[in-house]
Amino acid sequence: MTDPDGGADDRTPDAGGSAAESTDSAAESGESADSLAERRGLDVDVYQPAEDSGLLARAATEDGRLGPDDVALEVGTGSGWVAATVAEETGARTLGSDVNPHAAEQARERGVEALRADLVSPVRDGALDAVLFNPPYLPTDPENEWSDWMERALSGGESGRALIDPFLDSVGRVLAPDGAVYLLVSSLTGFDEVVARAAENGFAVETVVQESYPFETLSVLRLTSE
Amino acid sequence: MKESLMDIIVCPVDKHDLELAVDEEEADEIVSGTLTCTECGETYPIEDGIPNLLPPDMRDEVEA
Repeated sequence: MTDPDGGADDRTPDAGGSAAESTDSAAESGESADSLAERRGLDVDVYQPAEDSGLLARAATEDGRLGPDDVALEVGTGSGWVAATVAEETGARTLGSDVNPHAAEQARERGVEALRADLVSPVRDGALDAVLFNPPYLPTDPENEWSDWMERALSGGESGRALIDPFLDSVGRVLAPDGAVYLLVSSLTGFDEVVARAAENGFAVETVVQESYPFETLSVLRLTSE
Repeated sequence: MKESLMDIIVCPVDKHDLELAVDEEEADEIVSGTLTCTECGETYPIEDGIPNLLPPDMRDEVEA
């Protein structure tokens, strides 16, 4: 889970495990993402790079649209790994924002220009050439969500789209005319619903990368203004 | 934060320009200070190099 470049086999059970925990067994066992994270010996306050992070960084880098003159923002940057990787690979000035103060600190320590923000709300109109987002997407029982920072990093509310929908409704404002959004979508979240919401907001939608794991399929969508 | 971030950020509430007041600066980074909206007057702190641009209601909720 901490090595996004490692083999797929030892990473995928983590994603599936978290999903199952959130949707099925969490209520019975009373286990939170926090105790799961602790059991795995992970940071309990800040989401660490996983297979989804690796896929998002790869999509934004290999798509070839970002260069040294560009400004990008990773929303919900967590540890800052994706933002740092994209900055290093493309030369783009890549900011990282998070609601979580511990995440903003970790990202800054990694050398990312960090800020605390709610989605793209403090960004100037048309200021960004790219916006990256690996959202909290696991559908979660309302009674178990948002009790701590790790839950906030993982939980997408009952639908899994509690953060994705407002993101899609607001991100167009901050995008430069030829800018692009890179959004990670899990099949657990409802791929078709996310694509439909993006289209409603006037975006052309393309799948840049897609990988299947035992419990979910992860895709990175590229959204551009039509 | 770098001063050049001012070209990118605005007040999260009304999207107007922010005014920067620097308390502490190190090399090319603003370590602490305050960002004030030129329209609504809301203030946003910069602490340990990180501007907190959460809207006021969320800032209070998160920090509670």
